[in-house]
Amino acid sequence: MDRECALLLPGVCGVLAGSGSSLPDDTSLEKLLDWFTGLSEAGGSLLEACPCLLTFISTVVQNTASDPGVLSFALRLTGLLAATEDSFKTIQEHSVLNKVFNLQHWQEAGLWEDPCLRIGWIQGLRSMLQHPQALRFFVHSDFIDLLLQLQTDTSLFIASAANQMLAHILLFFQPGLSAGSNGVDKKEKDDGMAQSSADYSAVVMSISEYFKESLVPKESRNIRQSLQILKLLALLLAPAGPPLRDKLMQTVGDSLEELVTAGSSELTLPLMDVILSACSSGTDERVTRLLSSMLNINKPADLIHAAAALLRRGHHDAVHTARAVRILLLPIDIITGQTLLGTISTADEHQFSVMEQLKTKTSCISMICVCLTNTPQITLTPPDVLPCPPVSIVTAVLSLLRICSGVFSSSSTGCSEVCRNVIGSGKVQKCALEALTTLTSSPGAKEKISEVFTVLIQYLENPDSDPTVLHKSYQALLKWTSVCTDFSFITDKLKHDLLEVVKKRVCDMRWEVRDSTVEFLGHLAGVCVSIDSAEEECDASVALLGGSSTTPLLREALQDTESYVRASAIAALAKTLTHRWQQGATLSEEEPEIVRRLLEILSKDTEGFPRRAVVQYFISWYSSQSPPSSSSSLLMQSVRSVLSQGRADLDWEVKVHTLKLAELLLDEAFSGHPGYKKGSDAHQAPPHPYGVVSEQAYTLHTHASKHTEGADSDLAGVIEQGVLSVLLSGLVDCDRPVALKACGLLINLRELLCPLSLGVLDASAATAKVSCELPGLGWGREIIKILTMKKSDQTKEADNAAQRGFNGAEEGGDGMCVSVCEALRSLGLDERMDVLTQSSDHIHNSPFSLLQDILTASATHTKPGEEVIVDCY
Amino acid sequence: MKLYCLSGHPTLPCNVLKFKTTTIMLDCGLDTTSVLNFLPLPLVHSPRLSKLPGWVSKDGSANLEKELKECAGRVFVDSQPEFCLPEKELLDLSTIDVILISNYHCMMALPYITEHTGFTGTVYATEPTLTIGRLFMEELVNFMERVPKAQSATCWKNKEMQRMLPGPLKDAIDVWAWKRSYSMQEVNSALSKVQLVGYSQKVELFGAVQVSPLSSGYSLGSSNWIIQSHHEKVSYVSGSSLLTTHPQPMDQSSLKNSDVLILTGLTQMPTANPDGMLGEFCSNLAMTIRAGGNVLVPCYSSGVIYDLLECLYQFIESANLGTTPFYFISPVANSSLEFSQIFAEWLCHNKQSKVYLPEPPFPHAELIQTNKLKHYPSIHGDFSSEFRQPCVVFTGHPSLRFGDVVHFMELWGKSSINTIIFTEPDFSYLDALAPYQPLAMKCVYCPIDTRLNFHQVSKLLKEVQPLHVVCPEQYTQPPLTQSHRSDLMLELQPPPMPYRRCSVLNLPFRRRYERVYILPELANSLVPSEIKPGVSLATVSAVLHSKDNKHTLQSVPKPPPVAPSKKRKRVLEEPPAVLAPKPLLSGAVPLEAFLVTLQKHGITEVKVEETADGHILHLQAEDTLIQLEEDGTHIVCDNNEPLRTTLRDLVLRFLQKL
Repeated sequence: MDRECALLLPGVCGVLAGSGSSLPDDTSLEKLLDWFTGLSEAGGSLLEACPCLLTFISTVVQNTASDPGVLSFALRLTGLLAATEDSFKTIQEHSVLNKVFNLQHWQEAGLWEDPCLRIGWIQGLRSMLQHPQALRFFVHSDFIDLLLQLQTDTSLFIASAANQMLAHILLFFQPGLSAGSNGVDKKEKDDGMAQSSADYSAVVMSISEYFKESLVPKESRNIRQSLQILKLLALLLAPAGPPLRDKLMQTVGDSLEELVTAGSSELTLPLMDVILSACSSGTDERVTRLLSSMLNINKPADLIHAAAALLRRGHHDAVHTARAVRILLLPIDIITGQTLLGTISTADEHQFSVMEQLKTKTSCISMICVCLTNTPQITLTPPDVLPCPPVSIVTAVLSLLRICSGVFSSSSTGCSEVCRNVIGSGKVQKCALEALTTLTSSPGAKEKISEVFTVLIQYLENPDSDPTVLHKSYQALLKWTSVCTDFSFITDKLKHDLLEVVKKRVCDMRWEVRDSTVEFLGHLAGVCVSIDSAEEECDASVALLGGSSTTPLLREALQDTESYVRASAIAALAKTLTHRWQQGATLSEEEPEIVRRLLEILSKDTEGFPRRAVVQYFISWYSSQSPPSSSSSLLMQSVRSVLSQGRADLDWEVKVHTLKLAELLLDEAFSGHPGYKKGSDAHQAPPHPYGVVSEQAYTLHTHASKHTEGADSDLAGVIEQGVLSVLLSGLVDCDRPVALKACGLLINLRELLCPLSLGVLDASAATAKVSCELPGLGWGREIIKILTMKKSDQTKEADNAAQRGFNGAEEGGDGMCVSVCEALRSLGLDERMDVLTQSSDHIHNSPFSLLQDILTASATHTKPGEEVIVDCY
Repeated sequence: MKLYCLSGHPTLPCNVLKFKTTTIMLDCGLDTTSVLNFLPLPLVHSPRLSKLPGWVSKDGSANLEKELKECAGRVFVDSQPEFCLPEKELLDLSTIDVILISNYHCMMALPYITEHTGFTGTVYATEPTLTIGRLFMEELVNFMERVPKAQSATCWKNKEMQRMLPGPLKDAIDVWAWKRSYSMQEVNSALSKVQLVGYSQKVELFGAVQVSPLSSGYSLGSSNWIIQSHHEKVSYVSGSSLLTTHPQPMDQSSLKNSDVLILTGLTQMPTANPDGMLGEFCSNLAMTIRAGGNVLVPCYSSGVIYDLLECLYQFIESANLGTTPFYFISPVANSSLEFSQIFAEWLCHNKQSKVYLPEPPFPHAELIQTNKLKHYPSIHGDFSSEFRQPCVVFTGHPSLRFGDVVHFMELWGKSSINTIIFTEPDFSYLDALAPYQPLAMKCVYCPIDTRLNFHQVSKLLKEVQPLHVVCPEQYTQPPLTQSHRSDLMLELQPPPMPYRRCSVLNLPFRRRYERVYILPELANSLVPSEIKPGVSLATVSAVLHSKDNKHTLQSVPKPPPVAPSKKRKRVLEEPPAVLAPKPLLSGAVPLEAFLVTLQKHGITEVKVEETADGHILHLQAEDTLIQLEEDGTHIVCDNNEPLRTTLRDLVLRFLQKL
């Protein structure tokens, strides 16, 4: 804790003890507590550092008129302070502890009713219970019964906290785990151990009694209690060591069996959780039996959920997994008529009840969805557990998809009464498509590819498919394309159908559909496949849709009325052309036209998304063209326009992208020079919450041969491209991410050209001569201002000519010419970097500021009339 | 109550309902699918069509080269197209009192019925139905008369011949009853019999029943009908829609509590959702235009076209189709576009409110103003000079057998960059295209049928709960091509009564009550007596007067004072002597009290026997039986009238008299 805060703290404690209601905002106490927690975690005794806290606590708990919020804070603070044994002793010596956690005290004051106080009580104790002493205190104060009561508190938060706390006590103080304090001599330690083990047994005893008593609900209104106990058991059983686990199982085993037999729907999932937790920490006959009975309950919907839970937990026990798999496959078997389970044996006598459930629309849809969600998992289970080959499951999902869209032949169907419930159901369609997407990884799935394509194209064609269904169909198609190794499975008819449907969907009325379609085209171009006959690599878009057919569609989409679609089209175009660029292919006829349109979007589009996409388009073009090719001149020409327009854009993301492009140019120009750090691995800006994360890792190409003449010509070239203008204008930008990025790049450049470690004269004479033009308006003027100020600070005897020049710029708005090196050195980049790396609210988030706020707020409170403005972010 | 079914087409119904004393025809649909068997009527000479080979049967025994032409394996009649009329033989159509029209699609057979059957009744329809129906008829007549055909083929109709014909012609039914189009004169005469009605307006038919149209939401002025007497209610549901398109929404609640609901006019495309189809229409249109092709939309001149234009109005911008011209070609194009704007009260709420703004309800007005949509009466004249490609053409007739569409088929059919988009659900597009094969043009089928689908109708029926439902038999089983789709049929309890062409159904309910009015003076003279709390009775003697199906009780006229007359009166002319009616008895005879009374009168030897309905008292000394039952008392005694009278009076003592 710094001194400033330590000085303010007593005052703050006074304020809080006095009137809690005048807090600046309701998060202040939380922030304060966070700060204390941080301090105590960092080591060091809080109590020693600020003795005023103890006084504060004892004052507050005496004053029952205090704000409940402040009281709750005091309880939690006490727990925090008492978390170490030494402090615990100190607090106990001051006899504060008994008072603070004394239930009777709070009840008499009528404050226990306030949930705020109850939660403070639990959390305070929870923080404190880190050592045997605390456990001792806890047991001797008879808090365990109270805690068990709180487990079913009306407030869900309190109930949950109580549960967590119970779990904490049982697990943390388990014998055999070191819970004692260090540095105590052995005898004392043994005493302590013996004592704490007695305390622990007492706790275990009461809790076990409680479990025995209350696990099975006596009336239906007690079901919440059972639910809570089951949750607690689930928390306990998995991490519990063998003695505790055995003890618990011994205690609740009978009750669990009773619950399983009772088969209450509400308890199915928590019960399953408990049993599976028990399984995970070791199996015994009883647990196995419980699990078997869970997989034999006769409510189909519950059964399916139980089976799904079993698979989700990755339970590896062939018998039960096989059973769960059968349960989950049965509804799909019934609805699709695909014999997934072989001839249905008598073991599936619940088939009838499942069938009945499936005839009601709502339960049918929810059951089928659960089953579908689990199909990918099912196909990954060992083959000896599966009742059918995994590929049959793919077939079943496909036929379910056909049923959902109403396109199915009567011969292949299962129960028609059930089928009608899912026809046209968007929910089932979406679930099935998701399942189909993940089923790509199932063994043997690949042989289904042509059938998958047929169904997916059918979905894309279906006029009634809603936009999300179409989107998911596209995703599935992409996924299947990416795993497809042999495109000969995909007939020309399918390819033709796909092209036709894509052509139609880019003209769809709904922009979401157009967007998904355009996006799909882009992603497809990004999927690399090898056509196995030629052993040649090409992108999937060429393999499926034929090379030249998608670009016209995307070009058309550049004119779309919806900005998202335009942006997606630009991104898709970039992906489509990347392959050509990488191969250094000659410019196609349409490319100049595309570039013209893109530059038009960059300069005229009113929406940010397409403009961002344009800059990214040029980034990927620039970074993917390997040897200079015929497209270079068009590219370099456009890059210059992009830089100058992107720099002046209103959207900060466009500006950051522009800076990235500039960075690429710098990398290209200087990567051959010793001492140049590539922007991408030098100043990595800390990730900003709204930051742009580039999806692509750019491949940088070094052209060693080029960099022999020296940095000056490269620098001149870079300046000529407008890179420096981008960097300098970025530096004075009001958006922090932009300025940060620009600053980093400028520092890089400075380090290369004229490191501060060298004197002015040491810098290579040639580079020192390179100068650049600063405009007299806008960013240029800002830069000139900075330079002027630095100049006048640094050297009293100023270079008169330059001085005049600077002043002139300030007054008249004329541009001026400055030496690049000099400018880089005098911009104060390092100081700027420091400021920029700190987040904008760092001042207002400091504990000092928090303490000040509390004090000020109370001051205003006592002197009404003066309003204080609190910074809220 | 009987229903005579004269048409087998579920969406172009023609049924006759006999209800009380009235005979009501419900709709008068004309089945135009018969025209698909005929060759198209080209507006300009078509070398292709004229060169089609004549048909000769394989063994050469039947030679109808002149009448039948063969195209791509199908045979077509080379003659003026003919229509399949409603059945005329099932009942005497001159007995029909009124015809109720539900929408303009369902009145196209009207001239055949009103002009040639001796019909003397009235036709009821709403104003837009009449106006647009007239446009449709005018258009049809115009299409036919514009290209007169000298030949009228009849030889193929010979039974012997027809049996040898291939394909659909062989199976065509009732071909002798097929008729050529009517004339304008017949149309005018038929439509002069129409009387206009408004929604919920009640029209009395001979005092027997009341009919009233309800908004059905399907097209401008479209209606369902309620036909009710005081105690019975029959609902007639024809083309109805629950979708939000241009017409006023459907009135569902008035259909509640029907004894019988006659359900016709469900969607012909149960699997095609109109929204999806509209999207399909737009994207295919845009796709073709972008590729430099033309789009042909065969359609009717009113109805869905308004919605298509409205949808395109919004779509044009987003699809960058701003410069593409849209043409609407129909002899009645102008009237249709303009009429649609003036039927404010028949439009949906949204459009109604636009009437109070300085903008027209339908946005096609703006399309016309901005020159994006141009309309012409035909391809001749102005159109030919302004025609610019690529373009979108909306024109009729959807059967592709007559109208300007034939010309565009000949013009654009050969190129694969053009597209024909079918939006009307009335004709199978494959059949419509048959005489144009081989065809390079792309075909897209997006039938937009906004009528109720099975899901909607089940919900509707669940809500209005009619006692009985009558519907075309097609609705009681899944479509032939999708026999496994049990969701595409009506499943009701009790099951609906199916009908087919020429069915006569006895509707399953008996009339039990009739309303009778009582004149005030007569009512005044009644003396009700309370027989149990809340129920009073009075006897009334009156004359029942029935006129115009209204029944009134009037006081019995007093016999006129017998004027001294020398004329000899005939006995029959004398007014009947009015006797005071015997009082009506009510109540029950209490056994114990009765026995006591009998004893008082000296009858002591009574043996009481209990029976299922009451008691039998055996007066042994008198050898007499008294049967006391719930609804009757009998005294059985032989030849002892005094005793019987005594006993009767004793019984009467215990009963109330009215």
